[in-house]
Amino acid sequence: MAEPALVASSALLHSPPINHKSLTVAARETLTMASIGATSGKLDALKAAIQSAYGVALPDKPGRVEGNGIAFVWAGPGQWLAVAERGPSRDLEVELKAALPGLASIVDHSDGRVVMRISGPRARDVLAKGVPIDLDPRAFRPGDVAITHASHIGVILWQLDNAPTYEVALFRSYADSFAHWIEEAAAEFVSARD
Amino acid sequence: MRIACPYCGERSLDEFVYSGDATVTRPDAASPTAMEDFVRYSFERTNPPGMHRELWYHSAGCHAWLVVTRGVATHTIASVEVARDVARAASRTSSDPAAPAKDPA
Amino acid sequence: MAHPTQPNRLSSGGLVDRTRTLSFTFDGKTYTGHPGDTLASALIANGVMLTGRSFKYHRPRGILTAGSEEPNALVELREGARREPNTKATMAELYGGLSARSQNRWPSLSFDVMSINSLLSPVFVAGFYYKTFMWPSALWEKLYEPAIRRAAGLGRAAETHDPDIYEKATAFADVLVIGGGPAGLIAALAAARSKARVVLVDENASLGGRAVDDASEIDGKPAREWVDAAERELSGLENVRILRRTTAFGSYDGGTFGAIERVSDHLAAAPAGVPRQRVWRIVAKKTVLASGATERPLVFGNNDRPGVMLAGAVRTYINRFGVLPGKRVIVFTNNDYGATTVTDLKRAGAEVVALVDTRPQPSEMTKRLAGEAQTRLISGGVIVGALGRHGVTGAVIRTNSGDEVKLDCDLIAASGGWNPNIQLATHQGAKPVWNTTCHSFLAGVLPHGMSSAGAASGALSLDKALASGAAAGSAAASEAGFATVPVSVPDARAESEAITPLWRVDNPRGKAFVDQQNDVATSDIVLAEREGFRAVEHLKRYTTLGMATDQGRTANVNAIAIMAEITGRSIPETGITMARPPYTPVAVGALAGHHRGKTFKPTRLPPSYKWAKEQGAVFVETGLWLRPSSFPRPGEGDWLDTVKREVNTVRNAVGICDVSTLGKVDVQGTDALAFIEKLYCNGFKTLGVGKARYGCMLREDGMLLDDGTCARLGENHFFITTTTANAVKVVQHMEYCHQWLWPEMDVQITSATEQWAQYAIAGPKSRDLIRRVVDAEFDVSDAGFPYMGVGAITVCGGIKARLFRLSFSGERAYELGVPARFGDALMRRLMEAGKDLGVCAYGTEALGVMRIEKGHISGPELNGTTTPRDVGLGGMVSSKKDFIGSVLGKRPGLVDPQRPALVGFRPVDRSDRLRSGAHFIPRNAMASATVSEGHMTSTAYSPSNGHWIGLGFLKNGANRMGEIVRAYDPVRNGDTLVEVVSPVFVDPEGGRVRG
Repeated sequence: MAEPALVASSALLHSPPINHKSLTVAARETLTMASIGATSGKLDALKAAIQSAYGVALPDKPGRVEGNGIAFVWAGPGQWLAVAERGPSRDLEVELKAALPGLASIVDHSDGRVVMRISGPRARDVLAKGVPIDLDPRAFRPGDVAITHASHIGVILWQLDNAPTYEVALFRSYADSFAHWIEEAAAEFVSARD
Repeated sequence: MRIACPYCGERSLDEFVYSGDATVTRPDAASPTAMEDFVRYSFERTNPPGMHRELWYHSAGCHAWLVVTRGVATHTIASVEVARDVARAASRTSSDPAAPAKDPA
Repeated sequence: MAHPTQPNRLSSGGLVDRTRTLSFTFDGKTYTGHPGDTLASALIANGVMLTGRSFKYHRPRGILTAGSEEPNALVELREGARREPNTKATMAELYGGLSARSQNRWPSLSFDVMSINSLLSPVFVAGFYYKTFMWPSALWEKLYEPAIRRAAGLGRAAETHDPDIYEKATAFADVLVIGGGPAGLIAALAAARSKARVVLVDENASLGGRAVDDASEIDGKPAREWVDAAERELSGLENVRILRRTTAFGSYDGGTFGAIERVSDHLAAAPAGVPRQRVWRIVAKKTVLASGATERPLVFGNNDRPGVMLAGAVRTYINRFGVLPGKRVIVFTNNDYGATTVTDLKRAGAEVVALVDTRPQPSEMTKRLAGEAQTRLISGGVIVGALGRHGVTGAVIRTNSGDEVKLDCDLIAASGGWNPNIQLATHQGAKPVWNTTCHSFLAGVLPHGMSSAGAASGALSLDKALASGAAAGSAAASEAGFATVPVSVPDARAESEAITPLWRVDNPRGKAFVDQQNDVATSDIVLAEREGFRAVEHLKRYTTLGMATDQGRTANVNAIAIMAEITGRSIPETGITMARPPYTPVAVGALAGHHRGKTFKPTRLPPSYKWAKEQGAVFVETGLWLRPSSFPRPGEGDWLDTVKREVNTVRNAVGICDVSTLGKVDVQGTDALAFIEKLYCNGFKTLGVGKARYGCMLREDGMLLDDGTCARLGENHFFITTTTANAVKVVQHMEYCHQWLWPEMDVQITSATEQWAQYAIAGPKSRDLIRRVVDAEFDVSDAGFPYMGVGAITVCGGIKARLFRLSFSGERAYELGVPARFGDALMRRLMEAGKDLGVCAYGTEALGVMRIEKGHISGPELNGTTTPRDVGLGGMVSSKKDFIGSVLGKRPGLVDPQRPALVGFRPVDRSDRLRSGAHFIPRNAMASATVSEGHMTSTAYSPSNGHWIGLGFLKNGANRMGEIVRAYDPVRNGDTLVEVVSPVFVDPEGGRVRG
């Protein structure tokens, strides 16, 4: 069969990303992701394996570590979400299964979640309209992670830098509703006035 | 009401689901008195004022089950523990009849 | 120098901007005001004192207050879709083009037909609804209620959708300060200087509270200057957020507060993208309640006439708004603070006709003020009645000696003392305690983390307010963990707070109102007491006192005190008043925020959504998901035509249905099998790798929790599906079992619902279609991939996929899963590849029809009250293992043969339609609930049978095959004879699924 390969489609239907000096919102759809669930009694071995393979320490509490082109995001007790650019053929499910034999269950999440990046001076104000946790720099900093909800949509949220830039990972089917909400929440900051 | 999840920190009530009494232990299904035991375990509750030990699930957060010790008249929360740790600690001493954590109320 | 068009506008003073003029209309007539005005102050400036009619008696009413406690001056604001009834004129800020209408009048405000109610007032006494309209009950719907609604309703709601944006937001504070008066401002300063994060909320457009309203002096200068300096300092701090026009309306456990910010209500329309109102959830470590106090009216005859105003409000109108509500004024007070009003009036150029002080020996201060204002002081006197109908023209005063004198005036400024605004403390259960110094209720033990300051704590005078605010702000910051910086309390004059309570004037001339919004007078309280409604809660319900939109803020304490007098008890013995949220009314739309209409809840879109939309699919909401229910084609008459075609295509060729919405859970670990065995009521020990099995999970009480398939992908790796509706519940249940019941098990549970776009491909030609997308190296022959087989494969040239040979329709069928981002493309590829096979897409309707034809259970049968045995699956329940529900499922009542069991039904007259919800009753029984033997749960027109079919639970159903019963549905006039048959209507031998 010489049929062309299937083409991937975006999880977002209509809502265009926001690109404004005070706020940018964009979907990151070129990621490979996998969930890591530690095998009972193998947590230390799992951490050691990650340390030796990627040079980072898996966080024990809500946090995100990044190294060698891969990030590990705390996703619950004994669980992490590994995130990397897919590139031409990277597949974290395959890669981590090979790297962590017997230490963890690995489940492909490349398509299960969509990561949205929200950045700019107004990012905090916009997120405050849907996220019920304290994102003030005194309480939440780059590297911090929270599992919570945004406008009634479950998210894993983390901060990347002090722009501030946040990313939220949400289940794919909610992407359009999330974009619709954030568009409405951002309207007062990105309207034609400036 | 706000509950301090041991993993996530203090979160609003709407992230949690209440799911019953944390003082009862699932009985042995093979026991000759299994039916009475399970009826008591599933249905029989007292509701005294004061502190209760309750199971809560951090459904909109980390999915951890928690044991929350809470004053039902005042909503004062005395402690929040990870249910898995409470259950493990109790099972280690389950042969001890005085083990308090999982003793049926 | 009089204002050219606003007769009562003072030439100077107040915070209004006289350089700009705004025009507005009230009841169609055009007036002018200035920026900084409220609608109330602008109406007063124009001499408009009559603003509405009362709720019950349609008495003319005016403006009583200058704040959110206003019971009378309620108007319909704005026009069309933005029209909002019951808006307080005292809180509505003026903007150019504002349009307002009075309420409760017909045909006009000055001539109101319903004011006849006033003459009938002996009829409309307390409890009159209960007494008058008792019987016959049939008249309620047709006569009483419409008439009462027309007569007693408040304003009219808008008739079209509100076009504005409302939103919600969360804020966090170390110290939340509620109220931006002098106490709140200095508390905020004290906390902010210690670097604590401070949120300051105030319900007015500008800060300063009574320090500005009373034109007080701080540090020897006008208070306004100190307020401005404090505001400037706070605004410049990054750790401070000031929310103006924001009312903290509710106080909840854990330092959580609800507040409503009127972001754009002061504008003609919200700017693009800007919300009109925003509801804040504020989470605070510590809270300083500096919410001030509300002045009490004095209760005398006709005290509701336009032109009777609270003394504090009169001062506010003069000092904050630069308007003079009357030219000839009588001040009526029982306290020193009220007496100060004579000074403000005199300064504003009014003639103060008299200062009537109820105290036979007024304080030296009062005497001095009267002297300075050159006004007649009537000590120990009371106003027994106001004169005038649409506006005050005078007052009858009874002097200390009992003589009555009549004095002309156009305004009565009255003060009965002050009630601290402790509502936000009582929301959390703080019991009010009667204070015999200020003669009002104070919050007793404050909620955890809350302190109070200023008038809210009973400190009425400015010097005490500032001192208490500074102390409370410092303490709050310190308790929140910040090193405090000392704050010097500025200098303010010590003022007298002396008061001698007077709760009602004896023998008033005319009705003496206690609750003006709900038209409750002293006579109603007397009547309630006589009829035995002495408890405060009974009084409230019997008379409706305190139950209007103002929550009786100007009424409750007077009412309790009057009841105490009548019954000869003390006020604390008589009762207390506990407020519930909200402090002021909050629009439901604001509480909903973004979540209204189509965005009431988030919508989940399945992977083939875009494609289905292009096909013109009809969608149905299942939970949060939007799923195609059918795919109509041109020429099809109705939905039934479409569903028949889709079913027939599946039964004869091949159809495709997006089943991605089913919950999918990945279970791994060395104890995965043991865990699965605990979860399901049937056994999985014999399930080989590469095979799937149908299973049911029960609750511990033995009822069905959910059903689905469980596939074994590896020795220690299972992949289970749940129903769409129960996906979240099942994961929660699994986590419970793992974390709480069996924490020693090595199991990892991961939700994988969204990873896979999963399509059911069903029908005799389904294998042919599968073959065209599955990569060649994978064997899909019946030998290589038998019924209930499962495998990891690749499709379309190397895309990883999972293939399951499962069937819900009874036909040969597969489920094919690919990573969700390829879902859209795979659907298009399958439809293209299957063209010559006659493929069609089918929706949830056809899916439902086919599962009913096969007798498979779904939502209507998984209703929380059914066991495996009830649905005909008793045989699969394992007796060899312990699983959730294993013991209680054996309870005698659950295994009673008489218990309703699932069977099929077909109409005796094959042309009859069946309906879900119909009860089964014996053929010849009289229809009543007592003879019901069960009910119909699912029905469908079966294209395969050519008539309607149904599933339902019938007592002892399995043993009643062939029996005829009545399916009785009184709600829809259904009464059909049905035959009891097997629940499997298609291919009962099950040969087709195996091919």
